[in-house]
Amino acid sequence: MYDPIPLTVVTGFLGSGKTTLLRNFLRTRGGRGIGIIVNELGEVGLDQDLLVHAAESVELLDRGCMCCARRGDVAKALHDLIRKARHQGENWITEAIIETSGMADPAPIIATVLQDPWLRNNVTLRGVITVLDAVDGLSNLSSHPEAMRQIAIGDVVVLTKSDLRDSADRQALESLVASHVPDARVFDCHDPGFNLADVIRSMSGSRAPASRAPVDGNPVSHATASFVLKPSLYVDWPSFTVWLSALLHCHGDRILRVKGKLYAASTGKPLIIHGVQHMMYPPVHLDSDPDDEQESWLVFITNGIGRDEIATSLDRFLDRAAPGQGAVRGAQPAAIGVPAA
Amino acid sequence: MCEVCAIFGAGEHWSDFGRLRNEQFPFEDIQVYREERSRRLTLLTRILAPLGLAVEDWDGEAAVLLDRQGRSAIAQTLGDVWKCAESLSGRRVDPLAETFVEGIGDV
Repeated sequence: MYDPIPLTVVTGFLGSGKTTLLRNFLRTRGGRGIGIIVNELGEVGLDQDLLVHAAESVELLDRGCMCCARRGDVAKALHDLIRKARHQGENWITEAIIETSGMADPAPIIATVLQDPWLRNNVTLRGVITVLDAVDGLSNLSSHPEAMRQIAIGDVVVLTKSDLRDSADRQALESLVASHVPDARVFDCHDPGFNLADVIRSMSGSRAPASRAPVDGNPVSHATASFVLKPSLYVDWPSFTVWLSALLHCHGDRILRVKGKLYAASTGKPLIIHGVQHMMYPPVHLDSDPDDEQESWLVFITNGIGRDEIATSLDRFLDRAAPGQGAVRGAQPAAIGVPAA
Repeated sequence: MCEVCAIFGAGEHWSDFGRLRNEQFPFEDIQVYREERSRRLTLLTRILAPLGLAVEDWDGEAAVLLDRQGRSAIAQTLGDVWKCAESLSGRRVDPLAETFVEGIGDV
């Protein structure tokens, strides 16, 4: 039996600097043992030529975006990568990274990994890193829905090109990210202490650490909204899962992400839930609450579906199925900040 | 269920109790799992009753949906319940609609 290999998805809009980030990472000690799958849009996989230090473990998917018609190739590439690594001797690859194409929607990749029976047992999805270009990122987010989706699905945002003269103010970038993704953690690759290996490890298997309850995001472009709901502290797990599974079944295409910290009534301990569109990651269990204040909260990032609709639905459902555990609307928001690395 | 030893497991779907406990076979509190599972099936039956459907246990881990014509569909996970329900009833199940809770009553 082999341990599952942790997998990180690195996404970001065209020209955001994903390949440069990874290339620099692979040159460091932390880049050893990393298997990389590069998805390149178009006939020529230019990125593969750049990732020379990972040449042995690069699986290049040519022609097309892997997130749509290429899901099978993602599964096959991961399968081939892992089989090859193990054939060459024990766990030769200790980590795997998929670099998506610049126009890719990361959600189908996550779905592929979570749904494939073989991959479920051999890969542990750490999460999604979204690379945001400090020069063109602001305009890309307002002009390209693809860029917005990449930010919404990311667990972590890494700023690039912030050393260039034309780069946007960091505060503005962080505010913009927070307005889209209330709980996002933002790093700048030009910070002296930045280390991508640490960032990857901090995601700990799709398990972005619980942070203080975030606040609602501001209304943003492309009909996207982000908001926070606060149910009562203890949530009846059977009732909640029935509601959420129905919601994701019916409206998963409009729920870019749902994430939260909940205290299950039956265990009395907090757990982190995390989903992307129709798919939910396995919950992550915490022995204790990392926050000062014990509370349950849910963050939704949606496209074309509003806070009131979801809050009303949750309220109504829990009131009937588990009285006393309805969502508290209009809860006072807690302070949000960018957590330290 | 473990096919070798016939021990009831707790499912691998994100919503299953095993995920809540991080154990596939939560021996120590299997009664809690079974109680919550039973309650979930009851809740599903009440939600889907207006569609003419009933939900019953299937092998300790899955669920079987039955309609009034005697047709059935097995839902391996909670996520599959909604697909089966829509397939059997020909109607959409939407938790945002007020009608979603009309069958619940007091569980």
